[in-house]
Amino acid sequence: MVQTKKLKDGSRQVILNGKQYDTITKVLTELANKTKASAILFADMSGQLISQRGNTEDMNTTVLSALAASDFAATSEMAKLVGEEAKFKLLFHEGEKRNVYLSNVGDNFFLVVVFDVSVTLGLIRIYTKKAIEDLSAILEDDSSDGVTDEIMIDSDFSTLLGNALDDTFK
Amino acid sequence: MFINWAQQEINLKIVYYGPGMSGKTTNLEYIHSKLDPSLKGDLVSLKTKEDRTIFFDFMQIEVGRIKGKKPKFNLYTVPGQVYYASSRKVILNGVDGIIFVADSQPHRMEANIETLLDLESNLKQDGHSLENFPWAVQYNKRDLPGAEVVDVLQKRLNFFNVPHFEAVAVKGDGVFNTLKAVINLVVQNVQNQL
Repeated sequence: MVQTKKLKDGSRQVILNGKQYDTITKVLTELANKTKASAILFADMSGQLISQRGNTEDMNTTVLSALAASDFAATSEMAKLVGEEAKFKLLFHEGEKRNVYLSNVGDNFFLVVVFDVSVTLGLIRIYTKKAIEDLSAILEDDSSDGVTDEIMIDSDFSTLLGNALDDTFK
Repeated sequence: MFINWAQQEINLKIVYYGPGMSGKTTNLEYIHSKLDPSLKGDLVSLKTKEDRTIFFDFMQIEVGRIKGKKPKFNLYTVPGQVYYASSRKVILNGVDGIIFVADSQPHRMEANIETLLDLESNLKQDGHSLENFPWAVQYNKRDLPGAEVVDVLQKRLNFFNVPHFEAVAVKGDGVFNTLKAVINLVVQNVQNQL
């Protein structure tokens, strides 16, 4: 299972191990191949991009993830205002050349599929639904727990980070 | 905080919070103007025609690799105006550290207090509290004539005695110091939990 630690102050720490990352990326690759989508992004609801596939070289996917997360957040507030008790599960943006299909994966993650208008929405829906099932299974699988015990942030790290910040901000 | 072991990445989300026109976007614009292009992404601003933030500003910055790990800082601002309350709430999702940008002008004191209470109430809904959350106060617009004395601002706004900084964000004074302090608080906070 993806480790989600709740820190004392209430903030959330999400930790993804190497195996999970590889399996997630595999699901995205499969989705990209089957749908011919231009780009596929998997990100967390706070806006952090986790993995991407497709022709994303010319696309600022970091910003795209941040905007998509806000899109979700804004529409879930809209849901409340119009009397929808659950969150909206998917968002669809229709353009002249390209469409964007966004769907949540559990409460904490989401998938963005960017595709040409020549690709039918039905095809995207079917394969995205399958990918979401696969991704949910990976996120819930607890067979790989315990591999992330290495401490990433120690006191040495914070000193070095302090120095790096000084260099960057001078 | 999001840690991706496969990519050796640590992602932190820092939010600039504060009343309207206090200088949150200006902080980001200054950082963006000064950083080496290899260490920063685009600065995205969702603004109204009048140049006011309608949803948020966003920018990702990096500092290179540290012990093989790549820390990335995602900086966001919230819209300050009272009627964008729900936008402010949603930007706080997954936040790791907060910079409260207060306006030093005496007539903005009430707006500062109101926004701080709004922040506390939004944090509480997510199970946080200002009392033990990593945050700092930046007293901005120190150059304006008639700016309130820092002691008064401290008494009215900094009731948890968090680090505070005097700033003139348009000139960049205090901008990096505030950001660095909050990043340090976030890192300390993570260490304390281990």
